[in-house]
Amino acid sequence: MTSEAELDWKDIIHRCFRCGYCKFTYDYNDFNCPSYKKHRFETYSTGGRLWLIYGVINGDLQWSENLANVLYSCPTCGNCMENCRFEKFNFLLVDMIEAARAEATKSGFCPEKQKVLVERATNPEMWNPYGEPNSDNEALKKEYDLPDEAEWVYFIGCTSNYRQQNLRDATLRLLKKTGIDFTLVDEHCCTSPMLRTGQVDCASDFMNYNIARIKNAGASKVVTSCAGCYRTLLKDYEKFGADLGFEVYHTGELIKKLLNDGKIKIASNYDKVITYHDPCHLGRHMDMYEVPREVIKQIPGIKFVEMERIRENAWCCGAGGGVKIGYPDWALEISKERLEEAKETGAAVLTSMCPFCKTNLSDANETFNMGFEVLDLIEILDQLDIEILE
Amino acid sequence: MELSITNKEAILRKLEDIVGQDFASNKAEDLFIYSQDSGASIPRPVDYVIMPRTVEEVQKIVRLANKEKISLVPMGAGMTLSGLTIPIKGGIVVDMKRMDQIIEINKTSRYALIEAGVTTGILTAYLEKHHPDLEVSIPDAPPSATVTGNALIHGSGFLSQKYGNHGEMINGLEIVLPNGEICKLGSCCISDYWFTRGPIPDLIGLFISSFGTLGIATRLSIKLYPKDKLRDLAVGVFGNPKMIPVAISKITQIDLAEDITFFVQDKPAFMKGNVFLMTFITGNTQEEIDSKTKKLKRLYRKTKGSYMKIPEELNKFFLEKPMFISTAADYRKGGGFEYVGSFMPLGKIPEAIEKARDISLKYGISPTQVCRVIGKGHNVMFAASFSFNRADPADIENARNALHETNKLVLDLGGIIWKSELTGQKLILEKMDPNYKKLFNAIRNVVDPNGIMNPGNWEIR
Repeated sequence: MTSEAELDWKDIIHRCFRCGYCKFTYDYNDFNCPSYKKHRFETYSTGGRLWLIYGVINGDLQWSENLANVLYSCPTCGNCMENCRFEKFNFLLVDMIEAARAEATKSGFCPEKQKVLVERATNPEMWNPYGEPNSDNEALKKEYDLPDEAEWVYFIGCTSNYRQQNLRDATLRLLKKTGIDFTLVDEHCCTSPMLRTGQVDCASDFMNYNIARIKNAGASKVVTSCAGCYRTLLKDYEKFGADLGFEVYHTGELIKKLLNDGKIKIASNYDKVITYHDPCHLGRHMDMYEVPREVIKQIPGIKFVEMERIRENAWCCGAGGGVKIGYPDWALEISKERLEEAKETGAAVLTSMCPFCKTNLSDANETFNMGFEVLDLIEILDQLDIEILE
Repeated sequence: MELSITNKEAILRKLEDIVGQDFASNKAEDLFIYSQDSGASIPRPVDYVIMPRTVEEVQKIVRLANKEKISLVPMGAGMTLSGLTIPIKGGIVVDMKRMDQIIEINKTSRYALIEAGVTTGILTAYLEKHHPDLEVSIPDAPPSATVTGNALIHGSGFLSQKYGNHGEMINGLEIVLPNGEICKLGSCCISDYWFTRGPIPDLIGLFISSFGTLGIATRLSIKLYPKDKLRDLAVGVFGNPKMIPVAISKITQIDLAEDITFFVQDKPAFMKGNVFLMTFITGNTQEEIDSKTKKLKRLYRKTKGSYMKIPEELNKFFLEKPMFISTAADYRKGGGFEYVGSFMPLGKIPEAIEKARDISLKYGISPTQVCRVIGKGHNVMFAASFSFNRADPADIENARNALHETNKLVLDLGGIIWKSELTGQKLILEKMDPNYKKLFNAIRNVVDPNGIMNPGNWEIR
């Protein structure tokens, strides 16, 4: 929560009328809240959650395992923020759910599965929520011949570094191809899993550490291929009072800028039909819808087709908000619905710009044998010839 | 009936056996939401909530409730605001929203056959996409309101000026009676087509505004209507409320409108002391729209009103289906909102406007009245709304008192309170002809001898 919202949210939460707009797509043709669509009890809509939280605040309800479960079974995709018609507080809906998760944690009701994320991330041998030994990225620096100091830092993010190495390597190769001056740092978890699951106590330490590392590398700009890290670095660090002192770019933004500035050109064809999934952390959380599409449209030979629910109206992949670790089967069900929607477009390739979306969509693709090639847009670009123009 | 904890758990197991573990609950968090609504009604305890998917499941639930003598409260979206789905005597809330299939759109006979949980938003969007030349009348409620729930409370909305209230638009109903039997009403009891409710003894009316006391509706056939290509709005401003019935009579006499609504409010300041009459017009060409607008401008003038051109944004707001009127819930920054809706004779409207305004002022609530003409002036849905702060018990109590006084006003003026909450029902029953009550009670005793269906509502016994 922002310090401003911290003061306000408990005074605002009762203003939800529970009208139910939050459950829908913008044109009401379907329910677009994954949690409500699954459970169907009013309890599992955003309005229902706000009423429950208010019930706790005014003493009508007590914290319980089930109450925490209701709060945590939400991928915090932000569809509710887009569709709630109360403009004076709709932008705070996800913040309020996350703040209530923090209250649940304080009261000892953070679910065990989500707790593991932070137990791993705070383990000095890991510093990541996946429980992998920490990579200080020195080996990668050597492999890619990266300096100790540079204008840019590529903030890999834990998902790319420990689960989607192909995306990490594709990004490293692409950044090398573009010729920008960049390096890596011994990064720790960006804090996204902590903030999204209400385990906020150690977040500031992680933020300060990462900022110090980036500054020590002499960087004035950070680029990340992770939508979750991007949202966290740009939005949450500031909320926690951190002074970044550097600019933050998503890889999509950087590539678009290089293309538009005439510094690079895509010099080979990608002759496939693709569709694009808007990651919630990039789209609804950060309003970035056009950037990836503009990059896609500059790829020669590509046939780009859109799904029915896109941009602000996109169906979530189901991984976020601690759902992937807390409710893995349901996370796959949510992705399955996205893959089915993608199937209707006739696309062979499903692309996105978030390693966590890629993980979940790929898992569902495999589990349900959907037959897609699931690739991050950077992985597609990595397959193509990039011409340096300056 | 008071259940022991052991019995409660045993009943939950039986409910879970019917619909599966995920869709039956007696957890405090799940019940909490069902124990209250967004209106000013007092929260009351719920024992279970269950979400059936099929009519067979509904039958099993009803049979179980009958055997165990547990109350059943059917619920659509639970958006009446007057507490009609909050159990008065505990029991099981039967949330119908999983029965959400659009079964058939019959283009030729112009009806939609749907399950009881289909929302107005989903049906409207479906028609927009697949049958753009047809439309269904939907209420001024959020898109999560169910079509069936709204029709079964005598709802009204877009197209109601032309075609009447939503209860009148019902062609057929499938009901699970309190004994668990399925009863089909309307032509569907004889034919494969759900296209009309007669010509046979019309029993559908029994299930409208009886608030789930006679059974649970599982399927509904609702009329669809041809949709013109263009729709617009001509706003008239009237300083004298007495001219409203005159203007409405003239507009309906020459059949100019698709819909007529009007509203009165003190805020913002420029609205105070005026009635804003909104005539919605449709046509297939811009010439047709322009011609109707021209006629309305003249008509407004002749009835001592004046045409008001409104900004494009505001026009868009009023033309949106459904119109976003839930904004009233935030007038007092408190998320609470209830109104006394009523069916009122057109001729009584000026008095209703004046006296309801006095009540609002008495309770320190900014006067807000929203009204809709139903039929060609046959009836007006007159609503005086009261926003309140859910976080302030005194403010809620204040709103309750204002609602109660307005209920009395409605009856004094010869109107009838619409979808009335418990206290309003009592006022209606006090005034109701004894033989009407006797007949209704006799029917109810036969249909539901154990009194399991939403007991406490229309309580005559």
